[in-house]
Amino acid sequence: MTAATTIGGTLSPASQGAEVLRAEGLSKRFGGLKAVQDVSFTHHQGEILAVIGPNGAGKTTLLNLLSGVYRPSAGRLHLMGRDVTDQPMEARCHAGLGRAFQIVRPFPEMTVHENVTVGALFGKPGQRLPEARERAWALLERTGLAAHADKAAHELTLLQDKRLEVARALATNPSVLLLDEVMAGLRPGEAQEAVALVRGVRESGVSVLFIEHIMPVVRDLADRVVVMDQGQVLAQGTYREVTADPRVVSAYLGTEEGLQA
Amino acid sequence: MSARQAEAGAPVRAAPRREITPGAALPLLGFLLLAALFPFLPLGSRAEFLLQIAFFTLVAGIMALSWDILARSGQVSLAHAAFYGLGAYGYALLLKAGLPWLLAMPVAALLAGGVSLILGAVTMRLSGMYFAIATLAFTEVVRTIIQNLPESVAGGATGLLVPALLGGNSRAQYALAWGLLAFTVLVSLAVRLTRLHFAFAAIRQGEETARVLGVSIVRFKLLAFFISSSLAALAGVLYAGKTFFINPLETFSLANSIAPLTTSIFGGLYTTLGPVLGATVLRVAEELLHNSVKDGYLVVYGLVLMLSILWLPRGLMGLRRNRKHGGDL
Amino acid sequence: MDLFVQTLVNGLLQSGLYALVASGLALAVGVVGIVNFAHGEYLMIGAFLAWAGSAFLGVDPLLSLPVIAVAVFAIGALTYRVSIRHVLLAPELNQMLLTFGLGILLQNLALMLLGGNTRTVTTPYQASSLQLGDLSVGGPKALAFGLAALLLGALYVVLYRTTLGRQMRAVAQNRRGAQLIGIDVDRVYLIAFGVSCALAAVAGVLVSVLLFASPTVGLVFALKAFAIIVMAGLGNLTGVLWASVLLGVSEALVQTYVPGGGGWSDAVFFLMIFGTLVLRSFRGAR
Repeated sequence: MTAATTIGGTLSPASQGAEVLRAEGLSKRFGGLKAVQDVSFTHHQGEILAVIGPNGAGKTTLLNLLSGVYRPSAGRLHLMGRDVTDQPMEARCHAGLGRAFQIVRPFPEMTVHENVTVGALFGKPGQRLPEARERAWALLERTGLAAHADKAAHELTLLQDKRLEVARALATNPSVLLLDEVMAGLRPGEAQEAVALVRGVRESGVSVLFIEHIMPVVRDLADRVVVMDQGQVLAQGTYREVTADPRVVSAYLGTEEGLQA
Repeated sequence: MSARQAEAGAPVRAAPRREITPGAALPLLGFLLLAALFPFLPLGSRAEFLLQIAFFTLVAGIMALSWDILARSGQVSLAHAAFYGLGAYGYALLLKAGLPWLLAMPVAALLAGGVSLILGAVTMRLSGMYFAIATLAFTEVVRTIIQNLPESVAGGATGLLVPALLGGNSRAQYALAWGLLAFTVLVSLAVRLTRLHFAFAAIRQGEETARVLGVSIVRFKLLAFFISSSLAALAGVLYAGKTFFINPLETFSLANSIAPLTTSIFGGLYTTLGPVLGATVLRVAEELLHNSVKDGYLVVYGLVLMLSILWLPRGLMGLRRNRKHGGDL
Repeated sequence: MDLFVQTLVNGLLQSGLYALVASGLALAVGVVGIVNFAHGEYLMIGAFLAWAGSAFLGVDPLLSLPVIAVAVFAIGALTYRVSIRHVLLAPELNQMLLTFGLGILLQNLALMLLGGNTRTVTTPYQASSLQLGDLSVGGPKALAFGLAALLLGALYVVLYRTTLGRQMRAVAQNRRGAQLIGIDVDRVYLIAFGVSCALAAVAGVLVSVLLFASPTVGLVFALKAFAIIVMAGLGNLTGVLWASVLLGVSEALVQTYVPGGGGWSDAVFFLMIFGTLVLRSFRGAR
């Protein structure tokens, strides 16, 4: 582990790197509801970026815009320097975007190893099956799932399921990994393991963008934080900067969640 | 976790128990061998009749297996009668246009495959009941179109005469049907053992997740449609060449969509052996019943479908071994 | 112009029958959450019961109609008890295939017991017609439309003005919520499914007078009912009315104005299904 990854609240040198993801004025309306409004941010190479905000702030909608589940009503999205706004999910995956879902979604009739093989096989064009199987094995070892390779996904614990979710996304060989509340539902000890897992992901050269509710996790992991409220970006900066921002404090107080959760 | 594994000294890369071994193909080979030997059995005076039943059992096997290949990609279709019929009509019309039968057969299959791409493109984003209804309606419309074309083109409601396949030699016809079933089995195995298996299974078990992992659903769903309906069209060619005469009502009958679906579910979905076994059992049951009642012998399919859904969701294949998830072919 | 008006009227009259079949299906889909592929078979049972009553007992179909409705309600309730109930929580695919199997079973049982012939019912008013100026309307057609309108009106009254109707709508909106406030969901499902089948059977009685009874008569009506509820939006009963009119009138127009239209009009529903589904899937969130 490098020093940079463990220091919470300070800008890691990595964030000075090339940009991997850039959102320009992303908006999404559902009928009259403005779920996401004019969101802009830049995500740099090797950076761990957290998106936080009270419930209903539009975080998951934003993630769905990034991964291509929704098309934005306005705005552009650039991935690795390419405009991918009009690209479908699979093309964004090929261009280097990986995603792990908040509610784990394993393929239920496949083994753990087969689940990861899908990512390894189709994440980038032109992969061959034997090599994909090998890479899946390597990822299972890296994420501590090798002993469970033959199990069906429903035989795993929640933490293992989350590891599978991450392993499968990593198998697509992404440049950026989107994580949707990976800590949700985990016990404190398990959350520590998950934090270590995310750090390991960044060390392997993958930039991470994650949504999180648990503030200590954000403090420990994030190089930079984007705070959302009511669909808009309220503040951006280091953990220390945004938590000192009075607008952020009041947004959280207003929802009774509290920043010290 | 890997540390714990190392301590236990167990091999980290033990072959998963689902890995398919060559031995898994033995029952299939056995089945094909038995089917190949059938005409050489002492069939007695009813040989011709029994051979005909066996012929249509092979046709049913092709239909069921080809339907299953499409179902593996999550597309539960009620349009199989349409492609069976398009094969039959395509073949008949190509012969009429002067093509030799050996050429007319694959061309008819490819044409049906081409038409299936249109249906596949339209139903791309549909699932569940919407998909089923759209495919059901598609079949009705193909039938309506063929029925309403001028009689000089496709015979209208009356139907078309088709020259007998292989000069009407029933052993040669049987051999051809066997060959086409063996071909279908090979295609099915190829789908099972290559990347297509992972693409189809991923789309079936979670379409959005599959897309996020880079699976191009357009390409793979259409490919499944093309493979499946081309094979179904080959079954239609066999039917047309065997019965000499085809008409829209029988060729595009809903029964031809129901039978492969029921057969695959009864035999064991998403396997190669299951649909083939199911076809054998159900076709024989159907023939037995057909002997005693004139109409309504399809009652077998309705009953088997209901009972399978209620009590045998994994089909015959599920009886073989008590596996949580099959590693069978 | 007269031909045009005549065509519109014919289409409108036909749509009454469609609405009857489709609202039954919409009830099963909306309340019970089951896409009943055997819906047309209950129509077929109704048609055959009407034929049997007329042929063997000499009872006019319109008189036997209430008895048939009750009888098929009971058959529907039984169907719910022995099969549907067991797959309520199963994947949609299993539900669909179960009712599909049921449909095949019923249709082929009818074929086995009654043969494939069509059976016609003769009534004294069969050839009658109503003259309204230049318009001429078949008596049975007008009668069928009137009855369908009456029954649909009654259905709406039940759904929106009675306790049972409120319970049905509550269950349709939120099964668990309805359970929590003490509604016997199982009973509501049973009644809704029974009524759904009974509506199909009533349509079947009318079909036996207008057309004939045969084992396969239900399929095409079921397909059209599917087209209608897909157009209306699943489980949307009000939408069923205008979708039925749209289908009935479009078919009539094709019949009148397209050369050889009689054969083509049965393909209209398909275009509607496709049009709706394609439009809906591309207008979706993606």
